[in-house]
Amino acid sequence: MTPLQASPVTAEFFAGTARGELLVRRCADCGRHLAPRCVSCEVCGGTDLAWTAASGAGRVVSWTVLPDRAGGPPVVAGIVELAEGPWLNVRFVDVVPEAMTGGLAVEVRFVRPEGGEAVPVFAPAEQTLG
Amino acid sequence: MGGFAGARAPVIAGLGITELGNVYGRTSADFAADAVRRAVADAGLALGDVDGLLTNTGLAADLTLGLARDMGLRDLRLLSEVQAFGSSAGAMVQYASMAVASGMADVVACVFADAPLREPGAGSAGAYAGTGRRLTQGWRALDVAAGLLGANPLYALAARRHMLAYGTTSEQLGAIAVAQRAWAAGNPRARFREPITLADHQASRMIADPYRLLDCCLVSNGGVAVLVTSADRAADLAQPPVHVLGGAQAHPGYPASSDSTFGLVSGASQAGPAALKAAGVTLGDIDVVELYDCYTFTVLLTLEDYGFCAKGEGGPFAATPGVLGPDGSLKLNTGGGQLSSYYMWGMTPLSEAVIQVRGQGGERQCERHELALVSGNGGILDHHSTLVLGASPRERSITGSGS
Ligand SMILES: [Zn+2]
Repeated sequence: MTPLQASPVTAEFFAGTARGELLVRRCADCGRHLAPRCVSCEVCGGTDLAWTAASGAGRVVSWTVLPDRAGGPPVVAGIVELAEGPWLNVRFVDVVPEAMTGGLAVEVRFVRPEGGEAVPVFAPAEQTLG
Repeated sequence: MGGFAGARAPVIAGLGITELGNVYGRTSADFAADAVRRAVADAGLALGDVDGLLTNTGLAADLTLGLARDMGLRDLRLLSEVQAFGSSAGAMVQYASMAVASGMADVVACVFADAPLREPGAGSAGAYAGTGRRLTQGWRALDVAAGLLGANPLYALAARRHMLAYGTTSEQLGAIAVAQRAWAAGNPRARFREPITLADHQASRMIADPYRLLDCCLVSNGGVAVLVTSADRAADLAQPPVHVLGGAQAHPGYPASSDSTFGLVSGASQAGPAALKAAGVTLGDIDVVELYDCYTFTVLLTLEDYGFCAKGEGGPFAATPGVLGPDGSLKLNTGGGQLSSYYMWGMTPLSEAVIQVRGQGGERQCERHELALVSGNGGILDHHSTLVLGASPRERSITGSGS
């Protein structure tokens, strides 16, 4: 995975991933949870957006499988809908392409490529009660 | 945008297409100047007649306003860069049409050019393949980390969502690729003219599942320009006039949440009906359909959104024998499109529509070519433009409300 550098707009988000937290935005005016990149609320237009930790649970909305030209394992990546509502573009790990399905329950993990920030990836959710 | 009538109703009077494809050693600005000169000559005008210029650069990003100075265009009354990616060609024609209709300008050149291909050995599609790597800061960095580099995987996510919702299959996408290749056989400008089969499509290498190689557009160097002028002016010019009867845009602004219709419904669902209404025509009146085809799926989705079939039925519709291809009932992407012929963003469907409406399609010419519907699509289904073009002014559109 390509190591990432934080920039001013992503610094808070990556400070969260360093602590093992997946931060999303939450609109102070209407309570809507928003993707990290949002700068105004999709519902009410509010700009008072606080950072809040998501549960890390989500479901697969869509995915693609990218063959590795060097012959290594393919990359599986796509869109996750977090339990709180926002969508994220993410890498899937510990999955086989054939087992991917729409709505598959997944949960966040964090990987830290050498020299870069911690990055959220998603793996199939552990079987848990409830 | 529409309801035009009378002397100042907008008309496409010139079309200029440069050498296309693996043409090296020329910048986008070089191609653009060539395309504008060709369009002016095609119309039977002189360069000095041009009093408006709209430019749209591709990803090589070396076409700017400076084109006007480079070409020696003087005393322009309209000059601007336009950028809404693959929807830009349609958008430029819309802006030019409104400028002509209002009297702001008389002859507006709209030009797209790109030069992403490097010399052989430098790797194909360099500018396109590298777009992600230049943007590893900011939020885009998360897409890079995910592996979602460039358009292929992001459009693949759109197609997968449609498949999950409606059962659309790779074979149905393949039917579009096969049909367009059959059309390309009749287009001397087409890069790929050898027929392909559905088996060829299924055997082509995986690019970004569900997209195989034959689901994806090619990449071309070159430039295309059209000249928009008034019906009055066009009446004495060299080419049959192509009337701009209606147009519309839609930019859905998908939210990043469960409310998003990404992959299911695009801006075509708004722009298509709006453009038809502005032109005072219905889908059933359309003879020739030229849809933006960065991927096979883009065509499928646009067919649904324009209403050629019900939502979710695009796959079965495309795969129904007798619908697509030169012998089919729907005359769709008659030049082979960006999948088989040339990749000039929205100028690919637009240029083919102009050729067809004029009746200059040679062996691929459609028998009925009074009305053409043209789409442009940009971003990751983020931007859509629609044009309705006609061989005649539609007088009955006078009473239609322009939107
Ligand atoms: Zn809000």
